[in-house]
This record gives sequence, C-alpha cells and structure tokens, in this order.
Amino acid sequence: MNMFSSCMITALVILTLPIIMSSTKLYKNKLYPYYVKTATSYAFMISMIPTMMFIYSGQETIISNWHWMTIQTMKLSMSFKLDYFSMIFVPVALFVTWSIMEFSMWYMHSDPYINRFFKYLLLFLITMMVLVTANNMFQLFIGWEGVGIMSFLLIGWWYGRTDANTAALQAVLYNRIGDVGFIMTMAWFLLNLNTWDLQQIFITTNDNFNLPLLGLLLAATGKSAQFGLHPWLPSAMEGPTPVSALLHSSTMVVAGVFLLIRFHPLMEHNQTIQTLTLCLGAITTLFTAICALTQNDIKKIVAFSTSSQLGLMMVTIGINQPYLAFLHICTHAFFKAMLFMCSGSVIHSLNDEQDIRKMGGLFKVLPFTTTSLIIGSLALTGMPFLTGFYSKDLIIESANTSNTNAWALLITLVATSLTAAYSTRIMFFTLLGQPRFSPMILINENNPLLINSIKRLLIGSVFAGYIISHSITPTTIPQMTMPHYLKMTALAVTTLGFILALELNLTTQGLKFNYPSNYFKFSSLLGYYPTIMHRLTPKTSLTISQKSASMLLDSIWLENILPKSISYFQMKSSTLISNQKGLIKLYFLSFMLTMILSLLILNYHG
Amino acid sequence: MLKIIIPTIMLIPLTWMSKPNMIWINTTTYGLLISLISLSYLNQPNDNTLNSSLMFFSDSLSAPLLALTTWLLPLMLMASQHHLSKEPLTRKKLYISMLILLQLFLIMTFTASELIFFYILFEATLIPTLIIITRWGNQTERLNAGLYFLFYTLMGSLPLLVALLYIHNFMGSLNFLMIQYWIQPLPNSWSNIFLWLACMMAFMVKMPLYGLHLWLPKAHVEAPIAGSMVLAAVLLKLGGYGMMRITTLLNPLTNFMAYPFMMLSLWGMIMTSSICLRQTDLKSLIAYSSVSHMALVIVAVLIQTPWSYMGATALMIAHGLTSSMLFCLANSNYERIHSRTMILARGLQTLLPLMAAWWLLASLTNLALPPTINLIGELFVVMSSFSWSNITIILMGINIIITALYSLYMLITTQRGKYSHHIKNIKPSFTRENALMTLHLLPLLLLSLNPKIILGPIY
Repeated sequence: MNMFSSCMITALVILTLPIIMSSTKLYKNKLYPYYVKTATSYAFMISMIPTMMFIYSGQETIISNWHWMTIQTMKLSMSFKLDYFSMIFVPVALFVTWSIMEFSMWYMHSDPYINRFFKYLLLFLITMMVLVTANNMFQLFIGWEGVGIMSFLLIGWWYGRTDANTAALQAVLYNRIGDVGFIMTMAWFLLNLNTWDLQQIFITTNDNFNLPLLGLLLAATGKSAQFGLHPWLPSAMEGPTPVSALLHSSTMVVAGVFLLIRFHPLMEHNQTIQTLTLCLGAITTLFTAICALTQNDIKKIVAFSTSSQLGLMMVTIGINQPYLAFLHICTHAFFKAMLFMCSGSVIHSLNDEQDIRKMGGLFKVLPFTTTSLIIGSLALTGMPFLTGFYSKDLIIESANTSNTNAWALLITLVATSLTAAYSTRIMFFTLLGQPRFSPMILINENNPLLINSIKRLLIGSVFAGYIISHSITPTTIPQMTMPHYLKMTALAVTTLGFILALELNLTTQGLKFNYPSNYFKFSSLLGYYPTIMHRLTPKTSLTISQKSASMLLDSIWLENILPKSISYFQMKSSTLISNQKGLIKLYFLSFMLTMILSLLILNYHG
Repeated sequence: MLKIIIPTIMLIPLTWMSKPNMIWINTTTYGLLISLISLSYLNQPNDNTLNSSLMFFSDSLSAPLLALTTWLLPLMLMASQHHLSKEPLTRKKLYISMLILLQLFLIMTFTASELIFFYILFEATLIPTLIIITRWGNQTERLNAGLYFLFYTLMGSLPLLVALLYIHNFMGSLNFLMIQYWIQPLPNSWSNIFLWLACMMAFMVKMPLYGLHLWLPKAHVEAPIAGSMVLAAVLLKLGGYGMMRITTLLNPLTNFMAYPFMMLSLWGMIMTSSICLRQTDLKSLIAYSSVSHMALVIVAVLIQTPWSYMGATALMIAHGLTSSMLFCLANSNYERIHSRTMILARGLQTLLPLMAAWWLLASLTNLALPPTINLIGELFVVMSSFSWSNITIILMGINIIITALYSLYMLITTQRGKYSHHIKNIKPSFTRENALMTLHLLPLLLLSLNPKIILGPIY
C-alpha cells in the first residue's frame, strides 16, 4: 500500500519539473509548451493509480513530511491530505488541465511569450493542487493566495490593455475581501483550538463555530464569486480563453466551494450557517442566471453560467449535501472547460469576434465544435445520462425533498430553468440560422491540437458523470424515495426552459427591437451592480482618501499643528521679545546723539 | 562584537586609500564579508543572551536586526553607484564614509547593553543620516526634509534622556541584562504616566506613529537612494527595537496606556494606506506604505503577547528588506525616467521585462503573499490583535485589502499598459541592478524556509 502516497507525490513532483526546468535552456526552446502538456498528462496518468486504489480500498492517508517550525505548542509542517475529496479532484483537475493546455498550444500559438504562458498555467494548476491536498490551514492558505495571484497574472496576460489590467485588479480585490475572512478563521482556530491541522480541528468539539464559519463563508464568497462579490468573474473574461477555461472549470472558482466542503464537518450541525449558505447560493444562482439571459458576449454568457452553477453548489452545501456539491464540481469541470474551449474555437475562427449576434449558422462550417458545444450545453442543463445529469438531478431532487427554506428552493428551480434558456440562446444564435459574420473569413477547425483536446473533454462530458458517481458511493445519503412529480421536477423545469427560450427566440427574431424595458435593462446591466458598486464606492473612498486622509489630515492639520505652528510661534515671539526692530536710522541717530553728548561732556570736563 | 565593529571602522581607511576605480568594489566586497560575520550571531544556542563584553550583547531580537544592518551596507553601496557617478572623487569617498559611519553607529545601537549608551548611539545615527539627506538629496526641499527629520526625532527623544536619568537614579543601573531582574512594577500615578510617555514617545516618533509621521515621507522623498534604503530598512526598526526593549521597564502601565496609541495606529494604518492609493509620487507611496506597515509593529509591541512580539520582529525584518527593495526599484526607474511621477513611467514591462519580474516579486512580498516572512509577520500581528479584541479584525482586514490594492496599483501603473514614447530610448537594466534586487530577494525567500531565526527572543 506504499504505492498510494508515493504515486501521489510522484504526480505532484512531475508537475513541478517544468517549473524547475524553466531556469535552464529548455525554457527558450519552442517545445516547452509541449513538455508542459506532457508533464501534465503524465501526472494525470500517475495520479490515476492511487485514485483507483482509493476507489478500491477507500483508504485515506495523511502524509506529513517537512517540519517547518514549531511555535510554542503549535507544530507547522508540510502535510498532504489524501482523502475522498483530494483523491477524486486531483485526476479530474489534471485531466481537464491537460486538455486545456493542448488547446492553448493551438489558441496561443502566435503569442511570443507562449512559454511563459504555459509556465503560468502550470503554476496556477500547482497552487490549486496545493490547495486541494493541504492538510493544514497554512498550506491551504498558500494555495489559496497562490491561486489568486496566478489568476491576477493570467487575467492580465495582455498587459497592454487597460481592460485586462482592470479585470485582473478586480479579481485580486474581490478575492482579497474573501481572504480577510480566511485570515480571521485562521486566527480564531489558533486562539480557540490551538491548531491549524484539519484533523485536529474536526475532532475538537466547540459549540459555537459561528464566527470561523462566517469567515470561511466570506472566503468562499470571494473566491467562488457569490452574490455581492461576484463581478470579478465575468470581468475575468478579459484574459485569454484558455485561462477562462481553466479558471472556470477546475481551478480557482471552485476553490471556495471546495473550502466549504473541506470544513463541512464543522458546518454539519450549524443551522445558521447552513441557512446563510443556502440563501446566498440561491440568490447567486438566480441573479447570475438572469444576467446571463441578455448578454451578447459568448464568453460572458458562459461565465455567468459558471457563476450560476457555483450558486447551485452553494445551495447543495446549504442543504447539507457536501458530497453532491463535490460531485457537481467534478462533473462541471468537464463540460464547462469544453464550453469555453468551444467558444474559444468559435472566437478564433471568426477573427476574435465574441458577439453572438454576429455569428449564426456555424453548424455547417464548424461541425465538430457545434457538436461539442451542443453536448456541453445539454450536459450543463442536466440532460439525462450526460455528465451534468448525475449531479444536477440529484441536487434538485434532494433540494426538493429537504424541508428547508422553500423560497430558496423555488429560486433555485427558477434558475435551473433559466440555465436551459440561456443555453438555448447560445446554441440558437451561434450555431443555427443564417450566417451573420463576414463572408471573407477562412474557417478551419481541423487542427489536431484543437480537435483532440475538445474530443477528450467531450468523452468526459458524456461519460464522466456516470463513472464518477457509480464508482464511489457518497457518504451522505441522498434521498432515495420521493413522489413521482418531484422526481420529474428537475427535468420538467429544464424542458420548460428549453421550449420557452426556443419559442421566444423563434417568434421574436423577426420583430423590431423596441425601446428596452426595465427588466431587460436590469438584466443586461447586470442588476446595476457594477454601475453602483464600481463607480460609487471607489469614487467615494478615493475622494475620502484624497480629501480627508491626504489633504485635510496630512497636509493641513498634522502639518499645521506641529511643525508649522511651532515655527510660527517661535518667529512671532522672537520678533515680539527682541528689542532689535531694524530701525537703523533711529539707532544711528541715538548713537550719534550719545557720541556728541559724551564728547561735549567729556570736553567740558577736560 | 568587536569583530564586527573594528572591521567596520577599518572600512573608512579602505575607502580613502583605495584606487579611484576600486572604491565601490573594495567597500562592497568588504562590507559583504562583514555581513557574513554577523550571520554567526543568528545562532543563539541557549535561552540567554550572548554577552560579548560589558558593553555589548546580542540576543535573538537584536541578532536579526544586526544581520539586516550589515547586509544593507553593501546593498546601499551598490545602489548609489549611478547616483554618485558624476561627483568628484573626494565627495564619493565622503559619502561612502558617511554610510560606513552610519552602519557603525547602528551596529553599536543594536548591541548596546546599557540604556544610556543605547540612547547616545540612537541620537548619533541622526548625524550621518542628516548629512546624507541634506548633502546628497536631489532637490532644494531636502533642507526642509532634513529639518523635519532632525527636529521630529530630536524633540521626541529628549524626554527619554530625562526619563533614563530618573530611572538610573532610582534603580542604580540601566543595563538591559540586569534591569529585567530588578524591575519593580510601576505604580499608577501621574508622574509615572509621564515617565511612560517620555520613554515611549522617542520610539513612537521614530517608528513613526501616525500623526508624528510627517518627517518620514519628506525624508524618504528627498533622500538619495542609500538614505531611503537605510531609513526604511533599519532606522525605523530602531523604534520597534527600542520599544520592545523598554516596555519591560514600564509594566503594568502599558496595559492601559496603550489604548490611545493602539487606536491611533489602527486608525493611522488605514489612513496612510488609503493615502497610498492616491499617491502619484512613487517614493512617497513607498514611504507611506512603510508608515502603514510600521503601525502594525506598534500595535504588536503594545499588545505585548509572545505571538505579537514574534510577529513584530518578523515584520520588521521582512519590511526592512521589502521596502528597501521597493526603493531600489523606484530609484532604477528614477535613473531612467528622471522623475518620480508614476504616470511618466508606464508600461515598462515591455522594455525591461526582467525588471518587471523584480517589481512583481517586490509587490507580492509587500502585500504579504504566503509563505513569505511578510505574511508570517502580518499574520501573527493580526492574530494577536484579534485575540486582544475581536473587532480589530475589521480594521486589519480593511488594511489588508488596501495594502493589496496599492501594491498592485503601483505594479500596474509602472509596469503594465502601453509605454509612452519618451521612454523609448532608456538604458537597459544593468547587472548591478539585477544583482541588487536578487540580494534583496534572496534573504526574503531563504528566511521563508526557516522563519524561526527572526521570530525574536520569545520564540
């Protein structure tokens, strides 16, 4: 059984090899992207061995190796936790990243810094692996922050563009707000439990976990772009498409949900936090689904759909089903990465055109991309026996049968139906109908790098859900029996969404576009959120820092109270006290008078 | 301790007797050798202090600061080569001698075992710094800055002299090593409150505390590069070091005297970091970020728990290296653009990609990316303040967010975006500059591997 940990460590070490190589001459080589891709694929294959063993035996392991430091009674060492979550997630993430890397070899082939791009992608993946396998909060935090910083670098990859820089800064800012929650939780655990090791945290019993769990929820809200801290996720579309694919599928955004799943033993019996999570997730999933409805940028629609799915995962955690949420993370990774790669293929083929109104009729020119896009969208909506079905259907079912907040559940159902609506919209506008793009474009999707990478994920999107959900029995038992109509709800609302959206699109296509209604404006302006939060808040805070902190306090008050007033009073008092008034004439006159007087007197005397 | 002090003194004849083309190389190499000796003090084999003589000692609080001081001299010499390239030879030698003199005073300050001796050397460091700022600064405002620098610190520290004489009078000794065994708890009275203020204000001004910080941005902006470096890296830390040493005398008065200063620091760190968001002047931004980071150290020292002391010590070392590196980077921009205004130095990543990497790393350490020692310091401080009062996490959290914002704002403004046309024909970055950045960054990274040597005596 020693193979278990050693294989896992081998897989992780293989990932770091291209990073180490980057200081050698190989980094200047044109084959460097190929090496990175191969390393990732090898890491995937090797990591499958311990995963198989885990599936077979169900054995959890903790590896502790390098002792970092001991502070008083707290020991900090590098340790990896190889349990259900990390053992399943690592191969999934590696598989998806492998495909994305192959895809980016095609997508970024003309970039002069493609080697650096691959290094960043790999670092991004490594930090995610650190996050997933960490067994103590400090190591988790290293991965957590590392993911944030790598996303900053990758979103701002085209650093000449102002939008890319703004989006990158936005991502860091929103994540940083979440980090405050994480740091607070770390501080709380240290003070009250005196440990950062996960297994030690879980075995201690403390009645009141509200504060640290709130911190974790804040952290997850920031990282997983839940309502309130969500705007960075659609803005992150400024990055290259492979980055969006990686960011939205298996790394970064699921980290927040993963954190809550990790700390689920603490949440299990805490109703307050569960309700909060449920409501937060429900609001997010509905709000972002509404926003997705009216977007015209293909990447933005997919991005909002990610946000909506993340809300669904939070809902699942809120109804106390972390294993289902985790299953959804894994299945979601496949088809979401593929959706992004398909839209990347479309965008690249149409000369960087992202507007779905200028596409149309692509099913004839891009047959393979069309197939995968449709399968991906169907999997996303939870079409039976595709990957999404195995997690999404279960989630809706267990939500329907649980006796929690009915409003939250209703909202989730509406959002599920909207998922089908915006998926229809993508398919309808990009793939079907007449072409609306310029006829001069040479379209060719027959590149093995593109085809193979999408094909691999396509197979994943069809079968992964079945394989994952059938090889592993979830530990929390989902609801097994339910009335017939509840069983059919998920499917019914999805079908309803499909049909409605299709009919609406068909009937309104020829109509003249009237002055948009307020509902439309709400959706297309993203609920006025960026307008309010991204203009008002920075403006006020920057004005305050300029006017009050910098001008009023620093340049006027502090300057006047101490140095200026002291020098002023010194000057005043010295001129006041001094008997030298500068009256030269008078002085000389008196001097002369005295001289004359004295001369006279002395002469007289003499 | 003489094995550091005498070689440092011998650096002066070395400077004056070197051949004109060898002055930089000789002094830098020799300075690096001295810093190697100082590393041996990092090994503190037992709980007691290493007493070199009656006058000098070192423990695990002063040893990292000592190592930082000696490490910084060669870096300062490397950084100011270009700045002084047009000066006549005598003035170059004078400049180097001033830096050496400053290092000499600093070494003795950090290792002095007697409070009066410490005080004299603490004041003595003002002289070479003042000369460096007012003689080699770039603009006429340097005279005003020198005035601010001198008078703020002098006014703050004069009461300390009186307080020390008084303490010596009733205690009979001012030796650090003995005082900690003889000390009686101070009763709560008005005169003792003034004693507390007199003892602490000197260091608070030096740190600087928000409200008394005006001299710092001015001094930083006007000082030549070496002056900024040593000011940010070591001179501010004198304040933290002094506070940690002297609070042992002032118990239990600190428990309630700390409140106004804690409030001022917590408030000030948010104020100063929000000032950073609006700075257009690169050096001024870095200076204000120093004020904000030092406010964390003040909070940590005033809380007086083992974790907060560890955090304060780690943060001082981390900030010393980071801010010094940021000043070096700002200077390398200044030497090319001839302006400190950030907006004039946009898009440098296109032209100087390696420099952009240094900028990135420096900004990341400044915003405390794990697992650097900056994070360890900040994390411990946040934790101890959280345990002191849960509410402080809000202020600390805001500060963490703003710190990340202005660090990346600085990075994006200078490195990202389109470059402007007037910087098209700038010089490429020199090996000297790259080596300088590496020498700043290497200790940061290596210390992250084993942070316990800079966690201070309580660890």
